[in-house]
Amino acid sequence: MRLTEIEEAMQAGVLGKGAEWAIAYQKRVGEFFEAENFAEIRFAHMITDAETLGASGLAFLEEMAEMPAEDRRLRTLAIVDSRGFDDRAFERLLPGKPLVGDTQRAIDALGRMGAMKAHGYFNNHSVPLPAFGESCAFSGTPTVVYANAMVGVRCNFEAGPSAIAAMLTGRVPRYGFHLDVSRRGTDYFKLEGKPSNTADWGAVGAIIGRQLASYWKVPVIDGIAERPDAISLNHLALCLASYGSHAMFHVVGVTPEARDAQDAFGDPPPEPTVVTQADIDAFHREYDGDGETLDVVALGAPQLTMPEVYTVAETLAGRPVHDRTTLLVYTPLEIKEACQRTGIAQQIEDAGGLLVHGPDFFATFAKEIRETKGWTRLMTQSVKTANITEGYGYQPVAASLADCIESAVAGRIVRTA
Amino acid sequence: MSVITGHKGIGGQVRGIALVASDNFSTRYDLDRERGIFSRRSHKLFGENYVGRVLILNAAKGGVASAWMLREMVINEKAPLALLLNDANPVMAQGAAFAELPFMHRFETDITQAIQTGDTVLVDPQAGRVTVE
Repeated sequence: MRLTEIEEAMQAGVLGKGAEWAIAYQKRVGEFFEAENFAEIRFAHMITDAETLGASGLAFLEEMAEMPAEDRRLRTLAIVDSRGFDDRAFERLLPGKPLVGDTQRAIDALGRMGAMKAHGYFNNHSVPLPAFGESCAFSGTPTVVYANAMVGVRCNFEAGPSAIAAMLTGRVPRYGFHLDVSRRGTDYFKLEGKPSNTADWGAVGAIIGRQLASYWKVPVIDGIAERPDAISLNHLALCLASYGSHAMFHVVGVTPEARDAQDAFGDPPPEPTVVTQADIDAFHREYDGDGETLDVVALGAPQLTMPEVYTVAETLAGRPVHDRTTLLVYTPLEIKEACQRTGIAQQIEDAGGLLVHGPDFFATFAKEIRETKGWTRLMTQSVKTANITEGYGYQPVAASLADCIESAVAGRIVRTA
Repeated sequence: MSVITGHKGIGGQVRGIALVASDNFSTRYDLDRERGIFSRRSHKLFGENYVGRVLILNAAKGGVASAWMLREMVINEKAPLALLLNDANPVMAQGAAFAELPFMHRFETDITQAIQTGDTVLVDPQAGRVTVE
């Protein structure tokens, strides 16, 4: 890789041990992907939770935070997602287990290094939105895919250590979706099905993601009958990432680099693959469990927006959640507090639901909770949650938010449509 | 003995027994990292112990979690000896570079077809070469 003067200084250790480690690490990754040079970034954003970090990741962060200030100086705006940990909720979910400490320790270590502690992702607008065409370093896959496709930001997946390296150097290796040529469409899909809720849009992302299953492929989705809202597109995006490892896609007429199919591909589009309603229905049937008793409803991934939390309360309409079912509603702390101010949180809790802030269900001890509670049947409005919790031994079903709530009230899996 | 070339990878040379499937791979979605086995029922390697094996799969999938997890697995001695994929993503490369786990991708042929479970293989990431012995 070609290095600039400042990058050479980092490599030589002149700018501190942190930058020296970071640039060497970034070069290993950059050279693996044949990057020619580095791209300076507007800011770096990192999420962290104890489960992903592990003890060794936490030790790494704390050791870095203990270095002298000149060794760990950050060279870009650095934001760490400090969603906190919901002690009160976890006292109910995993009573008597000491879980709080590790995530907070990691966030505190990054705070000591100079990172700003903010809640949530920029895709729910709680941290600054970058401008079109800027390079950034984000550790959250949902943020990366949304930023690339929906906003036109240039970024790759920059996972934990990589995001920290970007904070220390203020740059990232320029490969993948920093390059115009990589952002063009590679595979064409015509959507004949009519997704009508977040689980359907997630299913579309899962179907395409499974078929392509490559970070480097960029699906172009055309033919949508009805313009999806940002929440639906977020579910499409994070399922493309979750099932296919995708970090970039286009929806013709919706996303900014796809005014038409030719724009998305840079060439005439290839023959499309058709995604039908039958494909979407067949995907949902893989997780079939209609009529079976239900242990838990986990709403999140992405965490619920304020309008979605309102929808939960409105759909419950004062009815209690069934005794055998636990309703967990994951939302950022700010939204939870706003819902407490407006009385919506109380309505959900009076019905027996639990509003949980902090990292999502799948990222906070979902396996331990299943083992402790003896749960198997899970329902969610998020196909991503279904995908991950299946790996943790749950039998998940993804459905509309409304069906999730109806099922929580019935204590068994019901579908109204 | 046959030699398969790929792109220059990460980490040093190792020799071990292959564990192979044509499925994709995520450390978060597919593994019980405490027991060192594949825990996802729908994975072709469900129930298989991957610790100390040269793990060979198709593509990296999923999100950021693998970057921290590979190093944690190495430290806890619950890691594969090396990882070979047809198609890596940045997270897996970032994870392997952080863990210093031997890692290669982009071979001249479908690596999941060229090597069978049980084969002894010599992995040389810096030379971009895998030798089936």
